[in-house]
Amino acid sequence: MSEKERRTKGILTVIVIGVLFYGYSLLCLIKPSQDMSLSERRPLKQRPELKVEALASGEYSDDFEEYALDQAAFRDELRTAKSVYQSVIMRKLDHQGYYLTNGYISRLDYPLDTESIDNATERFRYIYDTYLADKDVSIYMSIIPDKNYFNEKLLYPAYDYNELVVRTREGMEYAQYISIMNTLSMEDYYKTDTHLRQERLAGVADFMGREMNVSVDTIYDEIKVTDDFKGVYYSQFGFPMRGEEMYYLTNSNLEDMIIYDHENNRQISMYDMEALEGNDPYEFYLHGPLSLITIENPNVSTVKELVIFRDSFGSNIAPLLATGYRKVTLVDIRYLPSNRLGQFIEFENQDVLFLYSTGVLNNSETLK
Amino acid sequence: MVFSSMTFLYYFLPAVLLIYFVVPAKGKNVVLLISSLIFYGWGESRAINIAGHPVLYGYVLFMLLTILVGYLSALVIEKYKDKVTGRITLIIALFCCLLGLGFFKYANFFIEIVAGIIGVTPRLLDIALPIGISFYTFQLISYVVDVYRGQVKAIRNPITLYTYVIMFPQLIAGPIVRYSDVEQELSHRTHSIPMVREGIVRFVIGLGKKVLIANQLGALVDVAKSVQENSVTLSWVCAIAAALQIYFDFSGYSDMAIGLGRILGFRFPENFDYPYVSKSITEFWRRWHMTLGGWFRDYVYIPMGGSRVGKGRLIFNLLVVWSLTGLWHGATMNFVVWGLFFGVLLIIEKLFILSYLQKAKGINHIYVLMATVISFVIFSCDTLGQAGAMLKNMFGMGGLSLMTKESLYHVASYGFTLFVAIIGATPLVKKIAQRAMAAAEKYKLDTVLESVVLALILILSTAHIVDGSFNPFLYFRF
Repeated sequence: MSEKERRTKGILTVIVIGVLFYGYSLLCLIKPSQDMSLSERRPLKQRPELKVEALASGEYSDDFEEYALDQAAFRDELRTAKSVYQSVIMRKLDHQGYYLTNGYISRLDYPLDTESIDNATERFRYIYDTYLADKDVSIYMSIIPDKNYFNEKLLYPAYDYNELVVRTREGMEYAQYISIMNTLSMEDYYKTDTHLRQERLAGVADFMGREMNVSVDTIYDEIKVTDDFKGVYYSQFGFPMRGEEMYYLTNSNLEDMIIYDHENNRQISMYDMEALEGNDPYEFYLHGPLSLITIENPNVSTVKELVIFRDSFGSNIAPLLATGYRKVTLVDIRYLPSNRLGQFIEFENQDVLFLYSTGVLNNSETLK
Repeated sequence: MVFSSMTFLYYFLPAVLLIYFVVPAKGKNVVLLISSLIFYGWGESRAINIAGHPVLYGYVLFMLLTILVGYLSALVIEKYKDKVTGRITLIIALFCCLLGLGFFKYANFFIEIVAGIIGVTPRLLDIALPIGISFYTFQLISYVVDVYRGQVKAIRNPITLYTYVIMFPQLIAGPIVRYSDVEQELSHRTHSIPMVREGIVRFVIGLGKKVLIANQLGALVDVAKSVQENSVTLSWVCAIAAALQIYFDFSGYSDMAIGLGRILGFRFPENFDYPYVSKSITEFWRRWHMTLGGWFRDYVYIPMGGSRVGKGRLIFNLLVVWSLTGLWHGATMNFVVWGLFFGVLLIIEKLFILSYLQKAKGINHIYVLMATVISFVIFSCDTLGQAGAMLKNMFGMGGLSLMTKESLYHVASYGFTLFVAIIGATPLVKKIAQRAMAAAEKYKLDTVLESVVLALILILSTAHIVDGSFNPFLYFRF
């Protein structure tokens, strides 16, 4: 190879990498800082202030690197590139704990944390002992499995769901267990989210209603709200996927219900259209994470009331259960400490349902 | 500052290279020195408490002071060569260099040992290890000793010495560059497009080795360590992954350092040469961390008599050198045992089996791989107890089953990554790349192929850095 050829070869590599390198560097420099990452649903690190204390502790350089990572140009596209590379090229079975089977993203939640299960049942026992033990109430408990339950036969590690149910039931012998695990299938879940699809829950609600000796509605109108629902797993997984359809159920009973948000002292709608534009479109159902909500159903002849201790899975099944009750109270003890419940709820002559997902039971440190 | 960080790659490096190539030749060392101080100070801004007063950038000042000692000593040594003053100055210089290293790196280690012997609770000193102290101390020692030996001339211009020791590409993780390696280039170096290209190729490949392979293997090692249902198979996979991670991590970093050096007009010594294809541990150490091995050979082993001594003395020399090599890597018993493990194997090879190993095809490779995997189990565990437990698991004495569902999942999930790493640790990838380039050259597409491959590695590495939380650099602790 002649010297001239060697030089030409060098020039092309230097130009390509130089342009890429300096171009990206420049983009990172001039790109305005963003406050939030919509895809990751978290606040992004801002440029740290230069302070002597921060320098002395070495905090400044750490903070600056975090800022540089968070505010990197094309961050979302690069995250996707990494996800595709790891999944397709390197054949990794999961990406940061998320994996894809038949178009459904699931999140590894393993192993079974028996201490967490015991912590949850201890919390529930506190509620039982404090508010329910000597009252005329019927107590039920039901568990919603995560998607790993349906992948048990695949290679993915999953805990023993039977052990989880048995342990939870042993800690809640005062409650009648309503088993819904076998009434569900993977298709009942959103592909890109952890939650269940409301339009697939009428049968489950009907089954639960029968177990609690009430009759809930089974006929609803199915209204599509978007073709482009992208759930919480979509952004975490980072793999390019299409948005999916999202529906809600309604009928005359649901339309007449009066919903009150006691956390913010306001009447709210059953479904929150504005949430569809927000960080978590699933908050469309009952306005997302609210600590205490009541749903009053003026059209029902019964006087029965239901109190549901719930997590986010309760948001879209509770309206369906509400068609069988005069009033449903939804309590989320992740936001409302259980020792304060007496200030807001009078427990007497009600059905009480503990409705929790396996994900919360196995990671129950948030229950107060 | 780590090479595989956003701060370095897309803030620090572009700015430094721009200024470096704009300023005239006379000012390039100053640019290199100032940028190296920023590079070091960025990660080492912590204050040192001196007489109760926190001194910001204390570790930077300590390093500058140590180099000043080396600078002045070398001048005195050269002036009083072959005289008592020169010899005493050398001893004082070595003592000062080793005192700093000994204090920061080994004080607590020895306190713990002494406290253990006399049976009291150790009261450890509140000191942190300055980044790169093992590397810059060794460079300084080599410089002072080389001046004493008359192999190099003492540097008159302090900026030249400071630039040599502090130069950011090799400051915190080597290779251990001797002054004689870069003496000419420090005063007169040329820059050219082919050199920059060579440097870019080397740097980007090193970045890929670190980010795309080493970090992924590290994630596997972490997963395997925290697994609920461990198995014999996963223990082996974890051990092999750890050995490969250390190789890709460190050799990747060395590649980046050598590449940066090339871009800046220096030719740093090679540090790795496919060590896992070795046929003996003797060969392995000729291919692994070559600059450290060379340093111990020239400044410890040969001055002690090397191998031209009786058997007893040879065994003693090797054990001393390998205890020190182990201790250089870290102040824990694990590193001492790790060093001695190699020392014992090298003694056995030297005295008995080296010639046999050269002929025993296949067996020699299995022996080297087994020995290195076991050694890196000792190396990568925090305590000897942990290492013992891990080795028990690997050899079926930990009560584990051969495979569990969870283990199978992790083995399957990281299987291809491991396969790529194993292939990448041999010269096969290099040969394939050379053939591909030769084939592309026929159609005059070799430069395009090179640019595309490098661009892809750079983009993917950036993607992993941007989205990755797992980005430790193993050799920082040395």
